[in-house]
Amino acid sequence: MNLSVNGSNQVVDAPGDTKLLWVIREHLRLTGTKFGCGLGLCGACTVHMNGEAVRSCQIELSDAEGTQITTIEGLGANGHHPVQKAWAEIEVPQCGYCQSGQMMNAAAFLNSNSAPSEKEIVDAQQGNICRCITYNRIKTAIKRASEIMQGA
Amino acid sequence: MTKHIKKVSGLSRREVLVGSAAGAGLVIGYSVLPNAVDSASKAIAAGNWDHQQFLSMDADGKATVHVTKCEIGQHVGTALAQAVAEELEIDWNDVRVNYPESHAKWGLHITGGSWSVNWTFDRNSRIGASARIALIEAGSKMMKAMPANCYAKNSRVYTADGSKSVSYKEILSSNTIDRTFSEEEMKSIKLKSFGEYSIVGQSKQPLDLPAKLDGSAKYGIDVFVPNMVYAIPIQNPTRYGAIPKAVDESAAKKIDGYVGAYVNKEGFTRVNTGYVVAIGETYWAAEKAAKALKIDWDLGENKNISSDDIRDESIRLQKDPNAGFLWVLEGDTDKGMKNAANKHTAVYETAIAYHGCLEPMNGVAYEKDGIMHIHSGHQSFTFAVGNTAAALGVEQDKIVCHQYYAGGGFGRRTEPDLHVLVAQTCKHVGRPVKLIFSREQDMMFDFHRSPTYQVIEGGEEFGRMTAMNHDVVAGWSTKRAAPGFMPDSVDKKGKVDQFSTNGSDHWYDIPNHKVRSINNELSDRALPVGFLRAVAPSWTFWAVESYLDEMAKKAGRDPLAFRLDHLTAAGKNAGTPPNSVGGAHRLRNALLVAAGRAGYGVKPLGKNEGMGMACVSSQERGSPTWTACVAEVKVDPNSGEVEVKKITVSMDVGTAVNPDGVRKQIEGSALYGISLALYENLTMKNGSIEQGNFDTWTPMRLNQVPEIETVLIQNGHYPAGTGEPATTVVAPAIANAIDNAVGARVRSLPITPEKIKSAMREA
Ligand code: FES
Ligand code: FES
Repeated sequence: MNLSVNGSNQVVDAPGDTKLLWVIREHLRLTGTKFGCGLGLCGACTVHMNGEAVRSCQIELSDAEGTQITTIEGLGANGHHPVQKAWAEIEVPQCGYCQSGQMMNAAAFLNSNSAPSEKEIVDAQQGNICRCITYNRIKTAIKRASEIMQGA
Repeated sequence: MTKHIKKVSGLSRREVLVGSAAGAGLVIGYSVLPNAVDSASKAIAAGNWDHQQFLSMDADGKATVHVTKCEIGQHVGTALAQAVAEELEIDWNDVRVNYPESHAKWGLHITGGSWSVNWTFDRNSRIGASARIALIEAGSKMMKAMPANCYAKNSRVYTADGSKSVSYKEILSSNTIDRTFSEEEMKSIKLKSFGEYSIVGQSKQPLDLPAKLDGSAKYGIDVFVPNMVYAIPIQNPTRYGAIPKAVDESAAKKIDGYVGAYVNKEGFTRVNTGYVVAIGETYWAAEKAAKALKIDWDLGENKNISSDDIRDESIRLQKDPNAGFLWVLEGDTDKGMKNAANKHTAVYETAIAYHGCLEPMNGVAYEKDGIMHIHSGHQSFTFAVGNTAAALGVEQDKIVCHQYYAGGGFGRRTEPDLHVLVAQTCKHVGRPVKLIFSREQDMMFDFHRSPTYQVIEGGEEFGRMTAMNHDVVAGWSTKRAAPGFMPDSVDKKGKVDQFSTNGSDHWYDIPNHKVRSINNELSDRALPVGFLRAVAPSWTFWAVESYLDEMAKKAGRDPLAFRLDHLTAAGKNAGTPPNSVGGAHRLRNALLVAAGRAGYGVKPLGKNEGMGMACVSSQERGSPTWTACVAEVKVDPNSGEVEVKKITVSMDVGTAVNPDGVRKQIEGSALYGISLALYENLTMKNGSIEQGNFDTWTPMRLNQVPEIETVLIQNGHYPAGTGEPATTVVAPAIANAIDNAVGARVRSLPITPEKIKSAMREA
C-alpha cells in the first residue's frame, strides 16, 4: 500500500486493517509517535493526515492510503516549528512521552486558529493526556507558539 | 535504605582513581584496589578493577557524567551533572550524561524515594572536585607553576595572577594523569558552599529536552533488534492467582504471522501465578493472537475478592488489639486521653490507585553470547537483574539491563515483572522479543497502591494535643518486594513495613503518641500492592493533616495557629544534620510562607469558597522535605462538584540544584496528587480490576488543572528530594478547604461529588 509520510512516498506491506500507528512505528521506524491507549483516548499517537490532527491508533492503513501523513519527525525542519520552539522555550516536557502527540495536536489546532482564546486552547487540547501533568506549561506554550506564528 | 557503595575491609582499600586510559582522556571513579596495585593508570589500563566510574573525560576536554538513575521525567541526569560540573569547574557546554547498563559494581540501583539528588549530591561534588584537582596538578606542571598557586575555571587552569592558562583539552591531550585519592583525602576536600555556586542553583535547560521535542528521544518501546517478534500477554481473569490449565491455539494458528504462545503454569512470584503470552511476527499479529487464543483458567484463590472484602478485612484488623506492630510509642496515650478536654476519633480511607505511566510497560530482550540483554527504561536494575536471573535459573552476571528514557515511572518501574516476562518469552521462542502491555493490561497488572484504612483517636486540652493514637492498616509492599528492608517495631515484637507507615511519625509535639502499623494480607494477596509515588506519606498525611484541622475546630482554634503551636522543634523534633537540620521549625516556616503567599485569612472569598492547608515532612523522618500547601476551592452545594481554583505550595528544599527543575517537579507532583485525590478511582470485583482504559479510569485532563503557585525556600542546607512530597500535601489541604467552604468533612479518597453531598447532609 502507498502512503506519503513526511513528504516521502512509502510502500507498506501490511494487512489493510493494521492501525496506522503501528505502520508508522514498526514498518517505517518513526518512533516519535507513541502508543498510549489504543482506543483514541489519550492522544499520544497524534499525527497529521492531510493537515488534520488524527489519532493514528484509530486509523486503518487502508483508510490512510493515498493521504499525506506528517509525524513529529516531519513537523518542522530541524525541529523548528513554532510549536517546537515554544515547547523548548517553556521547557514543557518532563518524561516527554506524551509530548509528540501534544505538539502535533497543538500544531494542527493553531493552523486552524492562530490566535486562540484560553477556552479554545483548553477545548482543543484536552483529548491529550499528560500523566506528568505538564498542562499549565502546555497552555503557556500554545500561547507562546501562537505569538511566534504571528511574528512576535 | 542502606548506602549504595560497598564497604570493604581487609587487604583492599577503596579509593578514587583519576587516571588516563590509553594515554588520553580521563576516567574518574571509585575502586576497590588490592594493596599491591599502586597506580591509577595501571589499574584502569588493566580494565578489570571493580569500580564505579562516575565521570569520564575525553581528550577534547568534554566530560560525561555517568548516571545510574532512570530519567522518568525528573531530569535527574541534569541535576547530578550540575553537581559534578560545579566542582570540576568545567564549561557547562562541555558536559554530557549517559546511563550505564547494569553491573554488580554499581551496588543498589534504584530511582525512587526522592533520594537521587539527596543521596548523591555530595558524592558527585567530590568526584568533580577530585578530577579538578588532578587537572590543576597536571596543568600547573605544564605552566611550571605550583598547583597551590593555580586555579581552574570554565574548562581552563590558570596561574594565580591569571597571566597564564591552559585548557582542559590541552592538558588531557598531552598528559598521562595518574592520581589516587584515599577515602580520607576525598572526605577532606573542601567543597564550595551555598552562595559560591555558579552552575548549581542555575536553571540549566534539561539535557534530555532537545530529544523530547523532535521525536528522537528513545524509550524502551522504541527499541528494535533484527529478527524480533512481538509479544502481548493475555489478560488473566484475576489480578493475581490464576493459572492457565489449557490453551487452545486453533483459531490463533489461522492468523497470518502467528508465532506461538508462551504458557507458564508455574508462575513467578514477582509476576503472577501463571500467564500466557501471545507472540506474532508483527504487533498486528500478536494483538490478533492475544484475542484468538482460548484459555481455560483455574481462577485461583482470589476469584471472589472485591474492594469491599479488603475494606472489611481492614476494619476487622483495626478492631483486633493484637493485630499489627508499633511504629511510634511516646509517653502513655491512655493517660493522655484521660486528661483531655476534647476528644475526637475519625476514620480515613484511600482507594486502590494506579500508577498510570503513559508509556505502558514494555521491554525488548535478546540473547547474545550466553547473556540475556534487556532493553527498557527502568527504575531498579537491582530488582530487574536479580529477579530475571532467578526466573531463568542463571547467575546474575548473565543478565544485562540497558537503560532508556521512561515514559513515566512513579514507582511502577521499580518492579521486575516486565523483565522476567520478556526474558522468559525470549527463551521460549528463541528469538529477540519486544513485549508490550496493552493499556488494559497495564492497568490490571499494575502493582497498585494499596487501599488503606486509618483510625486516629486524639485528645486536646488548652489548645494542645494531649494524645494521638493512630492505626494504619494497609497492604505491605515492602514485605513482597524487599523484606530485608523492614525494620523492627519499636517494641521489637515484629517487623514493620516503614514504606507503608512513614509520615505517621510526624513532627508535631504530642507528648503521648502511638502508631500501630497493621498489614492487610488480603490486599497483598489480591492486588498485590506496590510503591506508588510518595508511597505511605500520601495516606498517612491524608489522615494526620485532615485530623489536625478537625481537632483544631473542636478546640475552637484556627488550624494555622493550632499547627504552629505544635511545631516547636522540641526534643526529638529538633532535627539532625545534614538532612533534617532545623527540624520542625523548617516545617513551621514552610507553612507560614504558604499561608502568607496564599493570603490565608486575608484574601476575600466568595460564597461556597474556602481555603484549607496542610503541611508535611514527606518522605521519611530521616529525609524530610518540608512542604506546605494552601488550597483554594469552590464547591457547588447542589451538585457537590468541587473546583480547585488555586493551590500554593511552598517547599524548603535546602539547596535547589536546578530551581526550574525543582519547580517542575513540584508542579507535576502536586497535580498528580490532586488527580489522585479527585479524579482517580479503581475498584476490584471478582479478583479483577473493574476499570480498563482512560474512559473508566479518568486522570486529570487539561480543563481540570488549577492555577498553581510554587515557592522555593532555599537556606543552603543539603538538597532535599522534590519529586514526591507535594503529592502528599494536596489532598488534605483540599479536604480542609472543602470543609471550610461548605462544612463538609470528606474522609475518604478520592473525594467525589457524592461524598461531598453526603458529608453536607451529615453536617
Ligand atoms: S494511543 Fe491513540 S489515542 Fe491513545
Ligand atoms: S511529559 Fe510525561 S506524560 Fe506528558
